[in-house]
Amino acid sequence: MESPHVNREAVPVYLGIDVGSVTTKMVLLAAGSMEVLDHVYLRTKGDPIRSIRQVMERIESDPRPFQVLAAATTGSGRMLAAKLIGTDLIKNEITTHTLAALTIAPDAQTIIEIGGQDSKIIIVRDRMAIDFNMNTVCAAGTGSFLDQQAGRLGVKVEDMGEMALASESPASISGRCTVFAETDMIHKQQIGVGRNEIVAGLCQSLVRNYLATVARGKQILAPVVFQGGVAANKGIVKEFERQTGHPIEVFPYYGVAGAYGAAIYASKAQGQRPPFQGFELLKREFAVDSFTCRKCEEECTVLRLHRDAKAVSFWNDRCGRYSEGKKQGQEQS
Amino acid sequence: MESAVAILYFLCVGIMKVTFPHLGSMYIFCKAIAEEAGIPYVLPPPTTDKTREIGEFHTNESVCLPLKIILGNFIEALDAGADTIVMVGSGPPCRLGLYDRTIKIILTDLGYEFRWLTIPGIFTWQAFLQNHDETKELRRELTIANFLKFPRAIMIGWRKMRWCEHLEGLAAKKRAVAAYPLEVERWLQEALAALDKARSLLAISRVGKKSVDALNEIKEHGRKPLKVMMVGEVYTVMEPSINMNIEQRLGHQGVEVERSSYFSSHIRRGSRLDKGLLKERAELMELAVPYLKYDVGAECNFSVAETVLAKKRDYDGVVHVYPFSCMPETTAASVLSTVATELGIPVLSLPLDRKDMGLRIDTQIEAFVDIMHMKRSGHLL
Repeated sequence: MESPHVNREAVPVYLGIDVGSVTTKMVLLAAGSMEVLDHVYLRTKGDPIRSIRQVMERIESDPRPFQVLAAATTGSGRMLAAKLIGTDLIKNEITTHTLAALTIAPDAQTIIEIGGQDSKIIIVRDRMAIDFNMNTVCAAGTGSFLDQQAGRLGVKVEDMGEMALASESPASISGRCTVFAETDMIHKQQIGVGRNEIVAGLCQSLVRNYLATVARGKQILAPVVFQGGVAANKGIVKEFERQTGHPIEVFPYYGVAGAYGAAIYASKAQGQRPPFQGFELLKREFAVDSFTCRKCEEECTVLRLHRDAKAVSFWNDRCGRYSEGKKQGQEQS
Repeated sequence: MESAVAILYFLCVGIMKVTFPHLGSMYIFCKAIAEEAGIPYVLPPPTTDKTREIGEFHTNESVCLPLKIILGNFIEALDAGADTIVMVGSGPPCRLGLYDRTIKIILTDLGYEFRWLTIPGIFTWQAFLQNHDETKELRRELTIANFLKFPRAIMIGWRKMRWCEHLEGLAAKKRAVAAYPLEVERWLQEALAALDKARSLLAISRVGKKSVDALNEIKEHGRKPLKVMMVGEVYTVMEPSINMNIEQRLGHQGVEVERSSYFSSHIRRGSRLDKGLLKERAELMELAVPYLKYDVGAECNFSVAETVLAKKRDYDGVVHVYPFSCMPETTAASVLSTVATELGIPVLSLPLDRKDMGLRIDTQIEAFVDIMHMKRSGHLL
């Protein structure tokens, strides 16, 4: 049944938004063909509201009029993103990455994902995720560390892969702790080791650290799919191939894989959805602030979303006094 | 001379003020005993971020989270006027068996003046002698009335604890199927508070039964829950503020959590009175043998054994919680990764450290729940 609001010429699409720690990603999938109509990869720069607004601007400014059938959010900012665009389809990034990888490579048995702050391994057998691991207390060897070191070496992070490939004898860099890795790199610089060698050494140590901590005890079997922003680095890809002994596959949408998976998730959702409000972001003023609830000793930091200076939504309270207050017929205070 | 000092001390200070750590609902048990026996007590303030920060500040960074939080509880209780600490002891591998002593030494170094009493983790002669030694001074402060009241006090405390744990177990089941899981949290809080207030055996069972009736009234959504076993280090399994409310977080995602460690089971195992229980434990331990022949200590071998048991009982998965840097459980985590692959049961290992890991824990729990759903249904989402 067609809703009366549907513009007949509009292109029906599914939208996936992945708000990560460092970057925000968006993928638009055509309903039916599931073809990628548009995708964006931009830096969050600590302001997810602005980056989501940029995503919406991009969709609206497209000459094709899109009709968003369903939208889903993922990534560490998924909750906020969902509040902003008005969807109840929220999925963790481990599952969306699995969906993306298995859509592109149905036979994949191992998924490596390295993003800005997180790195994960997902073990797939018989086309089903059976196990995963995520870096826990340490962000050593993730995208933001590469970013920092690129800045310190005065090179572009995009060029690091080529630099690493150009090196014949990578410098040995300690990989257990990023602080010590940095000390090691400075030391190598001071004694005259070339930049390419240092970058290559960095790639080696990042992969070694990943395999020793994140992939610890997991059986890596081919085909191995590598996703996330760090997959852009050819030096890292080569190191993974060398250290695991398996060919590593990097697919075209590796950088936006989380958003791609979210869009697939949105396409599978059934039942009634609340109306898509993403474009409201362009017309109205949105802001988030927080306050400390003093109703009990938990002292939760409650987050509050304002639309046009009016509080419309709450979250991050443990007891649900604010976030679920209305749903359970309780008075909000 | 010595007794004169003791009497003087008694006159100046008066009777001791007992305190104890927060371990789930254990405080209700301790409180009941103290109240019934007429011993003044100080309930440590509820564990908050501040408690953890105090504990972190006074310990080495690599020390495990439970020790930091328990230390924080004690400091807050001493500041609130307590002067006698009752602590549960633990077995050898944790801080080389000096887990409780480590806390005692830190507090002494900080300049606190207090008396210390360890409830031994296992009742042996050595533990008895140590206990005898520690209670020498304390016993002098207790009156005959206190002693006469003890049997009843312990009975009331024990009964309360068993009810608390029964209700917590029911809550873990109900959360997973409740239409609004937060209703269950409110119910549990009210039920525990009512039990805490009950002053006789009759009142306790009346309150308990009434609470069960109230729980049955809570609306359910009708979906079949997933079922997991929670295994791991004992303080982490028992104390929600250490395990970051993992039971609740899982419950709200439709997962029924069964856990092995309750305070009463800990005591019953330690007391070695219940022969059936001992046999059960020995049999359980056998399950770990194909994967782990050496007894690592603490709960390591049980974490492995319970995972095998969960597979036998056809559970959907196992959640393994332990403090970051915990030696026995880090060993268990490595073994569990093999057990999970060989038996085909999903295992989520969660090393816990700082409190600001909430979002990461939710991400992992959500992904874990997805995996269990996929396994059950046989297809991707």
